[in-house]
Amino acid sequence: MKPTDFLLCLIDASGGAIPGRTLLQKRAFFVTELLGEDFGLKFDAHYYGPFSSTVEGTTTQLKNLGFLQESNTGFGILSDGFEVRRYDYALTEDGKFLVGRLRETPEYKRISDATHRILAAGDPNYMELSIAAKAYFILKKKEGKGMSVAELIKEAEKYSWNIPPQSVKRAVAFLASIDLASEN
Amino acid sequence: MLDNLEIRDPIHGFIYRDSHEREIIDTKVFQRLRSLHQLALAYLVYPGATHTRFDHSLGAFHIAGGLVHALTQSDSDKSDRRLVRLAVLLHDLGHGPFGHAAEPILKKHSSPTVFAGREESKIHELISEKIILENEELKRHLSDTEREKIVGLLAGTFGDTYLHEIVSGPIDADKQDYLLRDSHFTGVKYGIYDQERLRNTLRVHQDGEERVLAISIDGLHTLEQFVLAKYYMTTQVYRHRIRLITDQMIARAISLGIEEDKIGWLRSLYSYDGTNEFVKEYVTWGDDRLMSEILHQEGSLVKEMFDRLWERRLFKCILDVNENDFPEPSTRAFVFAGSKEFYKPLQERVAKKFGFNRHHVIAYRVDFEPATKTESQVPVLHKHTKPTLFNDESALFKSADQKIREQHFHLYAPVETNDDEKQKRRKMREYRDGIVEIIQDLANPQPLQFGAEAKHETN
Repeated sequence: MKPTDFLLCLIDASGGAIPGRTLLQKRAFFVTELLGEDFGLKFDAHYYGPFSSTVEGTTTQLKNLGFLQESNTGFGILSDGFEVRRYDYALTEDGKFLVGRLRETPEYKRISDATHRILAAGDPNYMELSIAAKAYFILKKKEGKGMSVAELIKEAEKYSWNIPPQSVKRAVAFLASIDLASEN
Repeated sequence: MLDNLEIRDPIHGFIYRDSHEREIIDTKVFQRLRSLHQLALAYLVYPGATHTRFDHSLGAFHIAGGLVHALTQSDSDKSDRRLVRLAVLLHDLGHGPFGHAAEPILKKHSSPTVFAGREESKIHELISEKIILENEELKRHLSDTEREKIVGLLAGTFGDTYLHEIVSGPIDADKQDYLLRDSHFTGVKYGIYDQERLRNTLRVHQDGEERVLAISIDGLHTLEQFVLAKYYMTTQVYRHRIRLITDQMIARAISLGIEEDKIGWLRSLYSYDGTNEFVKEYVTWGDDRLMSEILHQEGSLVKEMFDRLWERRLFKCILDVNENDFPEPSTRAFVFAGSKEFYKPLQERVAKKFGFNRHHVIAYRVDFEPATKTESQVPVLHKHTKPTLFNDESALFKSADQKIREQHFHLYAPVETNDDEKQKRRKMREYRDGIVEIIQDLANPQPLQFGAEAKHETN
């Protein structure tokens, strides 16, 4: 399945829209991890979490082609002058038409099932998914050796990630609920 | 230590290199870059664009030197600094005649085994690495370890991430040079940005266990200027209508030479098999030699096409459509987001419908690879707060990135036009309508009807 089709399926399975490009990136990341297949998205690890240039470029391509609609909302300006703005993506009527043809494929069902597992695990927002992605990144590097929350926080500090213990606990619980980690 | 050996360069003033670097520059394999035009046949559009990969490699080497000097402070980085300069100096060795224009042909005819584990790499990058590792002259001037490290820097498997990003990344030394150089030699002013300021505001940022290239908030607008330079150069020069046509004619000519004329040496030149024998022969070829050899292939299809190029009897763009021209979503997705398998039947049907030679109809999608890493994720460093991303900081980036990713679909053919504008417009409309109809038909094939089948059987 091509990255364009993957993203159309992911957004459709998410209810036809995804609020925020960070959420889009992280949800796409977890779906590919759950399915054990990257669909050509090639995620890189960064200090801000996993990121795929292909997801970014393909989203713009789908928007240019009229299959996605982008809208943005401003959330004010922080004290350092940084403007907080969120970009939301929704399928257009043409996008929905294309997804309609993909719905019968086995890939759509797999992507849809994986997306629903994430949504059923508490529908984490972009911040929670980002923390979960960072925790998952660290746990994966340890190759299943197991870590306590305290160890995970300490390891995160090496990456300049300051994650509060409560957030780490929630992230681990989320990962456990989708079988990407164990709480033991 | 630089020995004050200077080369005068129209873009950077003086380029300094030490005696060891001079020995490498003086090798035959590096000097060959003088015979590869940086922009293939773009000089048919911009007469000044006759600069070569030799000048560009020296310029990129100069920029890399400035970057590593500004970014690496400790003595332990000294040998890496030298290797980064050399990696950038040698990065284009793997280009063949007509560079990027002929790259799809090289990719198509090369052995799939050369891509094993490197599916994302461009074929000329793999050949560059092979030349660096195996070329006898380079072996005399660089130790095995040095050559392996240089290849590692090019491939991103050796050294800090930021060093690889200087060699190959969204703001690498390659782009920093070619935007300025191509702008200068084409005579356009679009590629200009403040390179000195960009260099001085780039920083090394600790990203987990990696050290990556970042920009200080003071350099934000310089990076925006760089992004705009890339955008303008892409839309105005790299995607200039005539340049796209000449590039596609080169690619088609070589394909015809290999597949229809069955010219053995041409097939060998564009069939990388990962062997030393291939690269030994490959580095003897440049643009002029290939052009000259082809022009001696009397009666061949490849010569016919190169004669056209040489005499500037270029094909015309008979179809230029974008997503707005296909209101029906499945056709739009078929043309702009689907595979390119429909090009061949489309070309054949267009040739038949309008009476063109079937070898002379070329379909081409003008686009920007979605997987390309852009400047969007370059960390922007602030004085008192956490790093942000360029994508979030820059008011301009998103618009430029969106524009650069706009797609077009073109069809080129050997159309002779006269000066009657009205007649020309009518003819072009006729082509357009006819071709769009064929595309719609290919995108939405009608199921065979019983009546049609029965008729076919009785014939």
